[in-house]
Amino acid sequence: MAAWNLKDKTAVCGVGHSPYGRRLNRSTIDLAGEAIRHALDDAGLGRDDLDGLIVSFGTPIGADADTLAYALGLKLKMYNQTWAHGRFTASCLQWAAMAVNAGLANAVACLTAISFSGFRRPMMGGAGDSEGAWEAGGGHGEDPVFGMTSPGAGAALVAQKYFARFGATSRQLAAVPVAFRKHASLNPTAIMREPITVDDHQNSRFVCEPLHLLDYCLINDGAACVIVTSSERARDLQKPPVYLSGMQGLPGGREEFIWTYPGFGTSQQDAFDYQPGLQPVYQMANVTPKDINALFTYDAFSILAWTALERFGFCGQGEAAAFTQEGRIEVGGALPMNTNGGLLSEGHMMGWNHQVEIVRQLRGECGPRQVANAQLIQWANAYGDSLIYRR
Amino acid sequence: MAEYKKPLPAISTLNQPYWDGLKRRELTLQHCNECGKIWYPPAPFCPVCWSRNFAWQKLSGRGKVNSWVVFHQAYFSSFRDNIPYNVAEVELEEGPRLLTNLVAVDNDDIMIDMPVEIVFDDVTDEVTLAKFRPARKP
Ligand SMILES: [Zn+2]
Repeated sequence: MAAWNLKDKTAVCGVGHSPYGRRLNRSTIDLAGEAIRHALDDAGLGRDDLDGLIVSFGTPIGADADTLAYALGLKLKMYNQTWAHGRFTASCLQWAAMAVNAGLANAVACLTAISFSGFRRPMMGGAGDSEGAWEAGGGHGEDPVFGMTSPGAGAALVAQKYFARFGATSRQLAAVPVAFRKHASLNPTAIMREPITVDDHQNSRFVCEPLHLLDYCLINDGAACVIVTSSERARDLQKPPVYLSGMQGLPGGREEFIWTYPGFGTSQQDAFDYQPGLQPVYQMANVTPKDINALFTYDAFSILAWTALERFGFCGQGEAAAFTQEGRIEVGGALPMNTNGGLLSEGHMMGWNHQVEIVRQLRGECGPRQVANAQLIQWANAYGDSLIYRR
Repeated sequence: MAEYKKPLPAISTLNQPYWDGLKRRELTLQHCNECGKIWYPPAPFCPVCWSRNFAWQKLSGRGKVNSWVVFHQAYFSSFRDNIPYNVAEVELEEGPRLLTNLVAVDNDDIMIDMPVEIVFDDVTDEVTLAKFRPARKP
Protein backbone atom coordinates (compact mmCIF):
# COMPACT_ATOMS: atom_id res chain seq x y z
CA MET A 1 0.00 0.00 0.00
CA ALA A 2 1.37 3.35 -0.98
CA ALA A 3 1.98 5.90 1.76
CA TRP A 4 -0.50 8.72 1.99
CA ASN A 5 0.79 11.81 0.34
CA LEU A 6 -0.22 14.41 2.92
CA LYS A 7 1.17 17.34 0.94
CA ASP A 8 -1.40 20.18 1.02
CA LYS A 9 -4.22 17.78 2.03
CA THR A 10 -4.95 19.69 5.23
CA ALA A 11 -4.74 23.32 6.24
CA VAL A 12 -4.90 25.61 9.23
CA CYS A 13 -8.18 27.53 9.09
CA GLY A 14 -8.05 29.39 12.40
CA VAL A 15 -5.68 30.47 15.15
CA GLY A 16 -6.29 32.08 18.53
CA HIS A 17 -4.74 32.68 21.90
CA SER A 18 -5.24 34.13 25.34
CA PRO A 19 -3.06 36.92 26.70
CA TYR A 20 0.41 35.65 27.68
CA GLY A 21 1.81 36.72 31.03
CA ARG A 22 4.05 35.82 33.91
CA ARG A 23 1.25 35.50 36.44
CA LEU A 24 -2.20 35.65 34.91
CA ASN A 25 -3.90 34.11 37.94
CA ARG A 26 -6.37 32.30 35.66
CA SER A 27 -7.44 28.68 35.42
CA THR A 28 -5.93 26.80 32.47
CA ILE A 29 -9.47 25.70 31.48
CA ASP A 30 -10.39 29.38 31.26
CA LEU A 31 -7.28 30.15 29.20
CA ALA A 32 -7.97 27.20 26.87
CA GLY A 33 -11.58 28.28 26.43
CA GLU A 34 -10.48 31.75 25.39
CA ALA A 35 -7.92 30.42 22.88
CA ILE A 36 -10.42 27.97 21.32
CA ARG A 37 -13.13 30.64 21.00
CA HIS A 38 -10.69 33.04 19.31
CA ALA A 39 -9.51 30.32 16.92
CA LEU A 40 -13.09 29.35 15.99
CA ASP A 41 -13.97 33.02 15.45
CA ASP A 42 -10.86 33.44 13.31
CA ALA A 43 -11.94 30.48 11.16
CA GLY A 44 -15.60 31.46 11.06
CA LEU A 45 -16.56 28.16 12.69
CA GLY A 46 -18.87 27.43 15.60
CA ARG A 47 -18.40 25.26 18.67
CA ASP A 48 -20.28 22.34 17.13
CA ASP A 49 -18.06 22.33 14.03
CA LEU A 50 -15.19 21.20 16.23
CA ASP A 51 -15.04 17.41 16.54
CA GLY A 52 -11.39 16.74 17.38
CA LEU A 53 -9.04 17.96 20.10
CA ILE A 54 -5.33 17.37 20.59
CA VAL A 55 -3.68 18.78 23.69
CA SER A 56 0.01 19.43 24.07
CA PHE A 57 1.41 19.25 27.62
CA GLY A 58 -1.55 18.97 30.04
CA THR A 59 -1.06 17.83 33.65
CA PRO A 60 0.56 19.00 35.90
CA ILE A 61 0.72 22.57 34.61
CA GLY A 62 -1.95 22.46 31.91
CA ALA A 63 -5.54 21.46 31.27
CA ASP A 64 -6.04 17.89 30.00
CA ALA A 65 -8.05 17.03 26.87
CA ASP A 66 -10.85 15.11 28.61
CA THR A 67 -11.31 17.85 31.20
CA LEU A 68 -11.48 20.50 28.50
CA ALA A 69 -14.02 18.54 26.46
CA TYR A 70 -16.23 18.28 29.53
CA ALA A 71 -15.80 21.79 30.92
CA LEU A 72 -16.22 23.54 27.57
CA GLY A 73 -19.11 21.36 26.37
CA LEU A 74 -17.26 20.16 23.27
CA LYS A 75 -18.76 17.34 21.21
CA LEU A 76 -15.71 15.36 20.15
CA LYS A 77 -15.32 12.31 17.96
CA MET A 78 -11.64 12.06 18.88
CA TYR A 79 -9.17 13.51 21.33
CA ASN A 80 -5.56 12.82 22.18
CA GLN A 81 -2.78 14.30 24.30
CA THR A 82 0.99 14.24 24.58
CA TRP A 83 2.78 14.03 27.90
CA ALA A 84 4.20 17.00 29.76
CA HIS A 85 6.91 18.26 27.41
CA GLY A 86 7.03 21.08 24.92
CA ARG A 87 8.59 19.13 22.07
CA PHE A 88 5.31 17.76 20.67
CA THR A 89 4.00 20.74 18.70
CA ALA A 90 4.65 19.21 15.28
CA SER A 91 3.55 15.76 16.48
CA CYS A 92 0.14 17.14 17.51
CA LEU A 93 -0.33 18.91 14.18
CA GLN A 94 0.74 15.77 12.31
CA TRP A 95 -1.82 13.67 14.23
CA ALA A 96 -4.46 16.26 13.42
CA ALA A 97 -3.58 16.18 9.71
CA MET A 98 -3.66 12.38 9.69
CA ALA A 99 -6.95 12.24 11.60
CA VAL A 100 -8.62 14.68 9.20
CA ASN A 101 -7.17 12.89 6.18
CA ALA A 102 -8.40 9.54 7.52
CA GLY A 103 -11.89 10.87 8.15
CA LEU A 104 -11.73 10.48 11.93
CA ALA A 105 -12.56 14.16 12.42
CA ASN A 106 -13.46 17.21 10.34
CA ALA A 107 -11.94 20.01 12.40
CA VAL A 108 -9.31 19.40 15.06
CA ALA A 109 -8.27 22.01 17.62
CA CYS A 110 -4.63 21.60 18.67
CA LEU A 111 -3.63 23.58 21.70
CA THR A 112 -1.69 24.10 24.85
CA ALA A 113 -3.05 25.85 27.93
CA ILE A 114 -0.57 26.22 30.75
CA SER A 115 0.03 27.99 34.02
CA PHE A 116 3.56 27.70 35.31
CA SER A 117 2.70 30.27 37.97
CA GLY A 118 -0.27 28.21 39.17
CA PHE A 119 1.98 25.23 39.83
CA ARG A 120 3.84 25.87 43.06
CA ARG A 121 6.24 22.92 42.99
CA PRO A 122 9.35 23.54 40.88
CA MET A 123 8.77 21.81 37.54
CA MET A 124 11.59 20.26 35.51
CA GLY A 125 14.36 21.33 37.82
CA GLY A 126 15.22 20.61 41.43
CA ALA A 127 12.68 18.88 43.67
CA GLY A 128 10.15 18.65 40.83
CA ASP A 129 12.60 16.85 38.51
CA SER A 130 10.86 13.49 38.67
CA GLU A 131 12.11 12.35 35.27
CA GLY A 132 15.72 12.96 36.21
CA ALA A 133 15.24 10.53 39.06
CA TRP A 134 14.26 7.72 36.71
CA GLU A 135 16.67 4.79 36.48
CA ALA A 136 18.07 6.00 33.14
CA GLY A 137 17.97 9.73 33.90
CA GLY A 138 15.83 12.39 32.24
CA GLY A 139 15.20 13.08 28.58
CA HIS A 140 17.29 16.27 28.56
CA GLY A 141 20.29 14.62 30.26
CA GLU A 142 19.14 15.13 33.84
CA ASP A 143 20.85 13.19 36.63
CA PRO A 144 19.93 14.80 39.97
CA VAL A 145 22.37 12.57 41.87
CA PHE A 146 25.13 14.89 40.59
CA GLY A 147 22.99 18.04 40.76
CA MET A 148 22.35 17.79 36.99
CA THR A 149 18.79 19.05 36.66
CA SER A 150 16.55 21.14 34.39
CA PRO A 151 16.27 21.01 30.58
CA GLY A 152 18.64 23.97 30.27
CA ALA A 153 21.55 22.03 31.74
CA GLY A 154 21.53 19.61 28.81
CA ALA A 155 21.48 22.59 26.45
CA ALA A 156 24.46 24.04 28.36
CA LEU A 157 26.37 20.77 27.78
CA VAL A 158 25.68 21.12 24.05
CA ALA A 159 26.67 24.82 24.05
CA GLN A 160 29.97 24.14 25.85
CA LYS A 161 30.87 21.41 23.36
CA TYR A 162 29.74 23.56 20.41
CA PHE A 163 31.93 26.47 21.55
CA ALA A 164 34.98 24.22 21.98
CA ARG A 165 34.51 22.14 18.85
CA PHE A 166 33.77 24.97 16.44
CA GLY A 167 35.61 27.88 18.07
CA ALA A 168 32.34 29.79 18.64
CA THR A 169 31.60 32.11 21.56
CA SER A 170 28.82 33.06 23.92
CA ARG A 171 29.09 36.57 22.49
CA GLN A 172 28.15 35.21 19.05
CA LEU A 173 25.27 33.25 20.58
CA ALA A 174 23.88 36.55 21.91
CA ALA A 175 22.79 37.37 18.35
CA VAL A 176 19.90 34.90 18.77
CA PRO A 177 18.20 36.38 21.88
CA VAL A 178 18.98 39.92 20.68
CA ALA A 179 17.22 39.27 17.33
CA PHE A 180 14.21 37.60 18.92
CA ARG A 181 13.83 40.43 21.44
CA LYS A 182 13.91 42.92 18.58
CA HIS A 183 11.02 40.98 17.03
CA ALA A 184 9.16 40.92 20.33
CA SER A 185 9.48 44.70 20.57
CA LEU A 186 7.27 44.81 17.44
CA ASN A 187 4.72 42.34 18.87
CA PRO A 188 2.10 43.67 21.33
CA THR A 189 1.40 40.10 22.54
CA ALA A 190 5.00 39.52 23.66
CA ILE A 191 5.78 39.45 27.37
CA MET A 192 9.34 40.86 27.09
CA ARG A 193 9.43 43.82 24.69
CA GLU A 194 12.34 45.96 25.91
CA PRO A 195 15.20 45.64 23.37
CA ILE A 196 18.44 44.05 24.62
CA THR A 197 22.05 44.30 23.45
CA VAL A 198 24.89 41.81 23.17
CA ASP A 199 26.38 43.38 26.29
CA ASP A 200 23.11 42.91 28.19
CA HIS A 201 23.33 39.23 27.27
CA GLN A 202 26.98 38.97 28.32
CA ASN A 203 26.30 40.78 31.60
CA SER A 204 23.25 38.69 32.54
CA ARG A 205 24.01 36.13 35.24
CA PHE A 206 24.93 32.54 34.49
CA VAL A 207 22.20 30.02 35.22
CA CYS A 208 23.98 26.89 34.03
CA GLU A 209 27.30 28.08 32.62
CA PRO A 210 28.06 28.66 29.76
CA LEU A 211 24.40 29.71 29.33
CA HIS A 212 23.40 33.13 30.64
CA LEU A 213 19.96 34.11 31.91
CA LEU A 214 19.20 35.71 28.52
CA ASP A 215 19.87 32.36 26.80
CA TYR A 216 16.86 30.96 28.69
CA CYS A 217 13.21 31.18 27.62
CA LEU A 218 10.45 32.67 29.72
CA ILE A 219 8.27 30.76 32.16
CA ASN A 220 4.69 32.00 31.96
CA ASP A 221 0.94 31.36 31.63
CA GLY A 222 -1.34 31.35 28.61
CA ALA A 223 -3.04 29.31 25.89
CA ALA A 224 -2.74 29.13 22.10
CA CYS A 225 -4.84 27.15 19.63
CA VAL A 226 -4.55 26.10 15.97
CA ILE A 227 -7.46 24.50 14.06
CA VAL A 228 -6.72 21.96 11.32
CA THR A 229 -9.27 20.92 8.70
CA SER A 230 -9.27 19.56 5.14
CA SER A 231 -7.88 21.92 2.53
CA GLU A 232 -11.10 21.61 0.58
CA ARG A 233 -13.13 22.84 3.55
CA ALA A 234 -10.59 25.50 4.51
CA ARG A 235 -10.97 27.12 1.09
CA ASP A 236 -14.66 27.80 1.89
CA LEU A 237 -13.96 29.46 5.26
CA GLN A 238 -13.39 33.09 6.10
CA LYS A 239 -9.57 33.31 6.14
CA PRO A 240 -7.21 32.13 3.37
CA PRO A 241 -6.05 28.55 4.05
CA VAL A 242 -2.51 27.97 5.26
CA TYR A 243 -1.60 24.55 3.91
CA LEU A 244 0.42 21.87 5.69
CA SER A 245 2.73 21.08 2.79
CA GLY A 246 5.45 18.99 4.36
CA MET A 247 6.11 17.18 7.61
CA GLN A 248 8.56 14.88 9.31
CA GLY A 249 8.15 13.16 12.65
CA LEU A 250 10.06 13.29 15.90
CA PRO A 251 13.07 10.95 15.61
CA GLY A 252 14.19 8.76 18.52
CA GLY A 253 16.97 6.35 19.45
CA ARG A 254 20.51 6.31 20.79
CA GLU A 255 21.80 8.60 18.04
CA GLU A 256 19.46 11.35 19.24
CA PHE A 257 19.98 13.82 22.06
CA ILE A 258 17.10 16.28 22.25
CA TRP A 259 19.07 19.52 21.93
CA THR A 260 21.23 18.64 18.94
CA TYR A 261 21.61 16.60 15.75
CA PRO A 262 23.05 13.08 15.24
CA GLY A 263 26.83 12.85 15.27
CA PHE A 264 27.25 15.71 17.75
CA GLY A 265 28.58 13.33 20.41
CA THR A 266 26.51 14.30 23.44
CA SER A 267 24.91 11.72 25.74
CA GLN A 268 25.39 8.34 24.00
CA GLN A 269 25.46 9.73 20.43
CA ASP A 270 28.32 8.58 18.21
CA ALA A 271 30.58 11.46 17.11
CA PHE A 272 30.81 11.98 13.37
CA ASP A 273 30.49 14.73 10.77
CA TYR A 274 26.77 15.28 10.28
CA GLN A 275 25.39 15.65 6.75
CA PRO A 276 21.66 16.42 6.69
CA GLY A 277 20.99 15.64 3.04
CA LEU A 278 17.58 16.81 1.86
CA GLN A 279 15.38 16.13 4.91
CA PRO A 280 12.03 14.33 4.35
CA VAL A 281 10.02 17.46 5.15
CA TYR A 282 11.44 19.16 2.04
CA GLN A 283 10.86 16.10 -0.10
CA MET A 284 7.17 16.02 0.85
CA ALA A 285 6.73 19.75 0.23
CA ASN A 286 8.89 19.55 -2.90
CA VAL A 287 11.08 22.49 -1.86
CA THR A 288 14.61 23.02 -0.48
CA PRO A 289 15.91 25.13 2.45
CA LYS A 290 16.67 27.94 -0.05
CA ASP A 291 12.93 28.30 -0.76
CA ILE A 292 12.00 28.96 2.87
CA ASN A 293 11.05 32.61 3.59
CA ALA A 294 11.15 32.41 7.39
CA LEU A 295 12.14 29.79 9.93
CA PHE A 296 10.59 29.13 13.32
CA THR A 297 12.17 26.94 15.96
CA TYR A 298 11.69 25.76 19.53
CA ASP A 299 13.98 28.25 21.24
CA ALA A 300 13.75 27.14 24.86
CA PHE A 301 17.49 27.95 24.91
CA SER A 302 19.28 30.14 22.39
CA ILE A 303 21.74 27.40 21.36
CA LEU A 304 18.81 25.42 19.88
CA ALA A 305 18.55 27.97 17.06
CA TRP A 306 22.09 27.01 16.01
CA THR A 307 21.62 23.26 16.20
CA ALA A 308 18.27 23.51 14.33
CA LEU A 309 19.84 25.54 11.50
CA GLU A 310 22.59 22.96 11.08
CA ARG A 311 20.29 19.97 11.47
CA PHE A 312 18.15 21.04 8.51
CA GLY A 313 20.98 22.21 6.27
CA PHE A 314 20.45 25.99 6.34
CA CYS A 315 24.19 26.09 6.97
CA GLY A 316 26.94 23.53 7.51
CA GLN A 317 27.99 21.96 10.79
CA GLY A 318 29.69 24.58 12.95
CA GLU A 319 28.59 27.45 10.70
CA ALA A 320 25.48 28.65 12.56
CA ALA A 321 27.52 30.90 14.86
CA ALA A 322 28.60 33.02 11.87
CA PHE A 323 25.31 32.49 9.99
CA THR A 324 23.21 34.14 12.72
CA GLN A 325 25.23 37.41 12.80
CA GLU A 326 24.63 40.77 11.12
CA GLY A 327 20.86 40.66 11.11
CA ARG A 328 20.50 37.62 8.88
CA ILE A 329 17.85 36.07 11.19
CA GLU A 330 16.00 39.35 11.77
CA VAL A 331 12.97 40.60 9.86
CA GLY A 332 14.46 42.13 6.71
CA GLY A 333 17.35 39.63 6.79
CA ALA A 334 17.85 36.67 4.48
CA LEU A 335 16.21 34.17 6.86
CA PRO A 336 14.04 35.78 9.56
CA MET A 337 13.56 33.47 12.55
CA ASN A 338 10.90 33.50 15.29
CA THR A 339 9.40 36.82 14.25
CA ASN A 340 6.99 36.64 17.23
CA GLY A 341 9.93 36.87 19.65
CA GLY A 342 10.00 33.14 20.32
CA LEU A 343 9.93 31.33 23.63
CA LEU A 344 12.81 33.61 24.57
CA SER A 345 10.76 36.82 24.44
CA GLU A 346 7.13 36.41 23.35
CA GLY A 347 6.43 33.63 25.80
CA HIS A 348 6.77 29.90 26.41
CA MET A 349 3.65 28.48 24.83
CA MET A 350 5.38 25.20 23.95
CA GLY A 351 5.80 26.42 20.38
CA TRP A 352 2.07 27.00 19.84
CA ASN A 353 2.61 30.76 19.78
CA HIS A 354 5.07 30.13 16.93
CA GLN A 355 2.40 28.24 14.93
CA VAL A 356 -0.03 31.14 15.43
CA GLU A 357 2.61 33.55 14.15
CA ILE A 358 3.49 31.38 11.13
CA VAL A 359 -0.16 31.34 10.05
CA ARG A 360 -0.48 35.11 10.50
CA GLN A 361 2.74 35.71 8.57
CA LEU A 362 1.47 33.67 5.63
CA ARG A 363 -1.79 35.63 5.70
CA GLY A 364 0.13 38.92 5.80
CA GLU A 365 -1.32 39.95 9.18
CA CYS A 366 1.90 40.80 11.03
CA GLY A 367 2.15 44.57 10.60
CA PRO A 368 5.60 46.03 11.43
CA ARG A 369 7.20 42.59 11.70
CA GLN A 370 5.67 41.20 8.49
CA VAL A 371 8.06 39.16 6.33
CA ALA A 372 7.64 40.59 2.83
CA ASN A 373 5.88 38.26 0.40
CA ALA A 374 6.04 35.20 2.69
CA GLN A 375 5.00 32.07 0.78
CA LEU A 376 6.70 29.21 2.62
CA ILE A 377 7.49 29.09 6.33
CA GLN A 378 9.08 26.21 8.18
CA TRP A 379 8.87 24.94 11.76
CA ALA A 380 12.08 22.94 12.31
CA ASN A 381 13.67 21.88 15.56
CA ALA A 382 16.98 20.86 17.06
CA TYR A 383 15.33 17.52 17.96
CA GLY A 384 14.54 16.83 14.32
CA ASP A 385 10.83 17.21 13.59
CA SER A 386 9.43 19.75 11.16
CA LEU A 387 6.46 21.20 9.31
CA ILE A 388 6.39 23.31 6.15
CA TYR A 389 3.44 25.69 5.81
CA ARG A 390 2.44 27.24 2.48
CA ARG A 391 -0.05 29.94 1.68
CA MET B 1 28.23 9.13 58.59
CA ALA B 2 26.53 12.55 58.51
CA GLU B 3 23.05 12.53 57.03
CA TYR B 4 23.27 12.73 53.21
CA LYS B 5 20.62 15.11 51.84
CA LYS B 6 21.36 15.16 48.11
CA PRO B 7 19.23 13.12 45.68
CA LEU B 8 20.02 9.39 45.63
CA PRO B 9 19.91 7.15 42.55
CA ALA B 10 16.82 5.20 41.53
CA ILE B 11 18.08 1.64 41.89
CA SER B 12 16.09 -0.85 39.82
CA THR B 13 16.31 -4.47 38.69
CA LEU B 14 18.11 -3.21 35.57
CA ASN B 15 20.82 -1.12 37.18
CA GLN B 16 21.34 -2.95 40.52
CA PRO B 17 24.59 -4.63 39.29
CA TYR B 18 26.03 -1.19 38.40
CA TRP B 19 25.45 0.12 41.91
CA ASP B 20 26.63 -3.15 43.49
CA GLY B 21 29.84 -2.80 41.46
CA LEU B 22 30.52 0.73 42.68
CA LYS B 23 30.00 -0.46 46.26
CA ARG B 24 32.83 -2.96 45.61
CA ARG B 25 34.91 -0.10 44.09
CA GLU B 26 34.53 -1.45 40.59
CA LEU B 27 33.08 0.46 37.64
CA THR B 28 31.09 -2.16 35.72
CA LEU B 29 28.85 -1.89 32.66
CA GLN B 30 27.10 -4.41 30.46
CA HIS B 31 29.26 -5.92 27.71
CA CYS B 32 27.73 -7.83 24.79
CA ASN B 33 29.38 -11.21 24.22
CA GLU B 34 28.05 -11.33 20.66
CA CYS B 35 29.00 -7.93 19.16
CA GLY B 36 31.34 -6.46 21.79
CA LYS B 37 29.27 -3.34 22.55
CA ILE B 38 29.61 -1.84 26.02
CA TRP B 39 26.69 0.42 26.88
CA TYR B 40 25.15 2.84 29.36
CA PRO B 41 22.51 3.33 30.70
CA PRO B 42 21.70 -0.28 31.61
CA ALA B 43 19.32 -2.05 29.24
CA PRO B 44 17.58 -5.45 29.18
CA PHE B 45 19.59 -6.60 26.16
CA CYS B 46 22.26 -5.28 23.80
CA PRO B 47 20.92 -2.11 22.12
CA VAL B 48 23.03 -2.84 19.02
CA CYS B 49 22.40 -6.52 18.21
CA TRP B 50 19.61 -7.35 20.71
CA SER B 51 21.55 -10.31 22.12
CA ARG B 52 20.72 -11.25 25.70
CA ASN B 53 24.18 -12.79 25.99
CA PHE B 54 25.94 -10.09 28.00
CA ALA B 55 28.01 -9.83 31.16
CA TRP B 56 28.81 -7.03 33.59
CA GLN B 57 32.41 -6.15 32.82
CA LYS B 58 34.88 -4.24 34.99
CA LEU B 59 36.13 -1.10 33.19
CA SER B 60 39.36 0.87 33.54
CA GLY B 61 37.81 3.87 35.26
CA ARG B 62 39.72 6.15 32.89
CA GLY B 63 38.23 8.58 30.41
CA LYS B 64 38.15 12.17 29.24
CA VAL B 65 35.89 15.17 29.66
CA ASN B 66 33.42 15.29 26.74
CA SER B 67 31.64 18.43 27.97
CA TRP B 68 30.84 20.12 31.27
CA VAL B 69 28.68 22.81 32.84
CA VAL B 70 28.79 24.88 36.03
CA PHE B 71 25.60 25.41 38.02
CA HIS B 72 25.20 28.93 39.38
CA GLN B 73 21.56 28.40 40.37
CA ALA B 74 20.54 26.29 43.37
CA TYR B 75 17.80 24.09 41.99
CA PHE B 76 18.25 21.67 44.91
CA SER B 77 18.58 23.12 48.40
CA SER B 78 21.00 20.25 49.13
CA PHE B 79 23.41 21.62 46.50
CA ARG B 80 23.12 25.25 47.62
CA ASP B 81 26.38 25.18 49.57
CA ASN B 82 28.20 23.73 46.55
CA ILE B 83 27.36 26.59 44.16
CA PRO B 84 29.05 27.08 41.74
CA TYR B 85 29.47 23.33 41.20
CA ASN B 86 30.43 21.45 38.05
CA VAL B 87 28.72 18.57 36.29
CA ALA B 88 30.76 16.83 33.62
CA GLU B 89 29.99 14.33 30.92
CA VAL B 90 32.91 11.89 30.98
CA GLU B 91 33.58 9.65 28.00
CA LEU B 92 35.03 6.39 29.28
CA GLU B 93 37.94 4.74 27.46
CA GLU B 94 35.52 1.94 26.60
CA GLY B 95 33.08 4.39 24.91
CA PRO B 96 29.99 5.06 27.05
CA ARG B 97 29.55 8.48 28.65
CA LEU B 98 28.62 9.09 32.30
CA LEU B 99 27.41 12.26 34.02
CA THR B 100 29.44 12.99 37.11
CA ASN B 101 31.06 15.65 39.25
CA LEU B 102 34.76 16.41 38.76
CA VAL B 103 36.63 16.61 42.08
CA ALA B 104 40.12 17.88 42.98
CA VAL B 105 40.01 20.49 40.21
CA ASP B 106 38.96 24.15 40.03
CA ASN B 107 36.02 24.78 37.71
CA ASP B 108 38.18 27.28 35.82
CA ASP B 109 40.75 24.57 35.03
CA ILE B 110 38.31 22.09 33.43
CA MET B 111 38.84 21.57 29.72
CA ILE B 112 37.25 19.42 27.05
CA ASP B 113 39.28 16.24 26.40
CA MET B 114 41.01 16.55 29.80
CA PRO B 115 42.02 13.00 30.93
CA VAL B 116 40.24 11.92 34.13
CA GLU B 117 40.09 8.86 36.40
CA ILE B 118 37.43 7.50 38.71
CA VAL B 119 37.10 8.31 42.41
CA PHE B 120 34.67 6.26 44.49
CA ASP B 121 32.57 8.41 46.82
CA ASP B 122 30.70 6.47 49.53
CA VAL B 123 27.87 8.92 50.12
CA THR B 124 25.74 6.59 52.27
CA ASP B 125 26.14 3.09 53.70
CA GLU B 126 24.30 1.75 50.66
CA VAL B 127 25.35 4.06 47.81
CA THR B 128 28.74 4.77 46.25
CA LEU B 129 28.93 7.35 43.44
CA ALA B 130 31.39 7.36 40.55
CA LYS B 131 33.12 10.75 40.52
CA PHE B 132 36.20 11.67 38.53
CA ARG B 133 39.39 13.68 39.06
CA PRO B 134 42.16 14.77 36.70
CA ALA B 135 44.21 11.70 35.75
CA ARG B 136 47.55 11.35 37.50
CA LYS B 137 50.61 10.98 35.32
CA PRO B 138 51.27 7.24 34.84
ZN1 LIG C 1 25.44 -6.83 20.83
